[in-house]
Amino acid sequence: MITVLATNITSPLGMTTEQNYQMLKSGRSALKRYEGWCGVPEAFTASLFTDEQREALAVEGCSRFESLVVRSVREALTHAEVDVTDERTVFILSTTKGNVEMLPAEGSEGYLHPGETAAKIACQLGFTTQPITVCNACISGVSAQLLAHRLISEGRYDRAVVCGADCQSAFIVSGFVSFKALSPDECRPFDIERIGLNLGEAASTIILARTSVAAEGKREWQLVRGCTNNDAYHISAPSPQGDGTYAAIMATLHEGDRERLATVSVHGTATMFNDQMESKALQRAGLSEVPLSALKGYYGHTMGAAGVLESIITMRALDDGLILPSRGFEEIGVSGKVTISNQMQTTGKQSFLKIISGFGGCNGALLFTRTEGEGNEAPATPQTVLLAQTHSVRITPSALEIDGQPMETSAEGKALLTEIYKSRIGGYPKYYKMDMLSRLVFVATELLLQQEGKAPGNGQAEDGQVESGQAEEAVDRAVILFNRTSSIVADRQHQQTISDAEGFFPSPSVFVYTLPNIVTGEIAIKHGYKAETSLYILDHKDNHIMDSVVEASLLQSDTQSVLTGWVDCEDENKFEAEIRIITKNI
Amino acid sequence: MDELIYALKEQIIDALNLEEMTPDEIENDAPLFGNGLGLDSIDALELIVLLEKHYGIKLASPAEGKSIFKSVSTIAEYVEKNRKK
Repeated sequence: MITVLATNITSPLGMTTEQNYQMLKSGRSALKRYEGWCGVPEAFTASLFTDEQREALAVEGCSRFESLVVRSVREALTHAEVDVTDERTVFILSTTKGNVEMLPAEGSEGYLHPGETAAKIACQLGFTTQPITVCNACISGVSAQLLAHRLISEGRYDRAVVCGADCQSAFIVSGFVSFKALSPDECRPFDIERIGLNLGEAASTIILARTSVAAEGKREWQLVRGCTNNDAYHISAPSPQGDGTYAAIMATLHEGDRERLATVSVHGTATMFNDQMESKALQRAGLSEVPLSALKGYYGHTMGAAGVLESIITMRALDDGLILPSRGFEEIGVSGKVTISNQMQTTGKQSFLKIISGFGGCNGALLFTRTEGEGNEAPATPQTVLLAQTHSVRITPSALEIDGQPMETSAEGKALLTEIYKSRIGGYPKYYKMDMLSRLVFVATELLLQQEGKAPGNGQAEDGQVESGQAEEAVDRAVILFNRTSSIVADRQHQQTISDAEGFFPSPSVFVYTLPNIVTGEIAIKHGYKAETSLYILDHKDNHIMDSVVEASLLQSDTQSVLTGWVDCEDENKFEAEIRIITKNI
Repeated sequence: MDELIYALKEQIIDALNLEEMTPDEIENDAPLFGNGLGLDSIDALELIVLLEKHYGIKLASPAEGKSIFKSVSTIAEYVEKNRKK
């Protein structure tokens, strides 16, 4: 178990966890209707910082996003004695789009990709270790806490400062508009009248440590365990029966945990599909009687912050013996049996489950519990399983190498990928719908699996279907990828669709790929992989960090093998994929 | 009408990146979703963008598109009646 040392929430409702909690307790929300905001033609409701708040949050030399993170982390650090300069302390940033509102129309001069942003922030705050950015769409905040838990459990670090944050901009809002996912009015989680989500901006920090600090007899929060996975169903729609969320819950709850749950902090975005899917998963997991906490009616969907922020608010409310009303909910509108209320409830229980789901098919669950601090240290539990690499594939704009052997190719750049697809893979028309990053990883993966002797070669898979035997075998394979430039090619493409007021036609099939973890979903769907799928962003290719993350994931979960590597795609003529398969128990 | 149908097929191939298809391969009355071209929910949203971009038709929700997007013929009929450009 890993101890929660301190927290912060910086949102339009307040600059500390306490201020935020008191506002929620009194029923307040910062949701407001916007019309014609930043050139977005459609009206929408969101929780955004006011101009005065933006000014008050600004940190010299930092962008709006960076300032928000710096403020949140600094405030959290005032509540805990943590030496950020210590080599046993790591900074983990959770964000979906970081500084994207600053993406220049042309070139990328001066633009910081999320990993570079994290490095700048870490430096500003005094961290000396390499920061890690988690970019797993909506579940990033849960993924980031789980990563911290694993790295500490593996003994790589003693403390982790995890901050989740996102700022709203025309870039993000227009994308959700194209998905017809936004509600013009305040969102209504789990309600019969729900028609969509509200977006929100916030930063939220949780400091996790191996060492318990509570005085004897005093209680403190602990992150017990968690799980993330993929439902391998569709890149933007959850499995209707909530298969991924159900599996994440089942992996996270052990015997006796159910009875101790005060509440389940749900994702509850108030879209038709999400809430329905969650209700199914909760019922299947035997949690129909546990009261839900749906917080999107206060904050909207704060994206990279959500998994952290909603965990913290739930902790703080349980400190008070309360389950906050699910604001916006009135009449049940899901078919799975769940217990949800818009009234304040009291509870004496001391545990809760946080669940979350996101684009790319990813799902996550974390179990938190409040226990008496023993004032001593939880030992690191490094596992001693042997890991082995099986095969590798490397693709650059002008070369293809399989298991270190150069292959003959003729095309270059983007055309090389299509040449490889046509000559060595084929039978999967979805290839042409993918963005550059997904195409790159898709072809590299297919070649890798051909080497592994499982993927059918050209001509053997005319209908693009996965052979059933293969899917079954691969269920416990994770996909963990790293890069530097996030989804920059898709980002530019999306930005072009909204850059001109006359031609404002954001495209859902472009926007979806601006979430770089979609590539992990593409691989999971094609091959039926249902273990973790993660995309991490670093400011440079750091093999040591990549190995640490992959090993911690393999060793601290039931995953049997992982498809992993560096997959960066800066433009059509500048990319690199170097991927391999690592297995345990060989 | 034939002209509109052909233009729609080209626009659909382009918008949905149906790279290996030609307009002649899409039958006028064949279902676009399900067993037909095998389009998915993102494709449906993309068709909504297509109608707005090329014909000035605004659909509020994917649900509205359900009956319109049955086949190229049904889209053409709807466009013919409702186009603004």
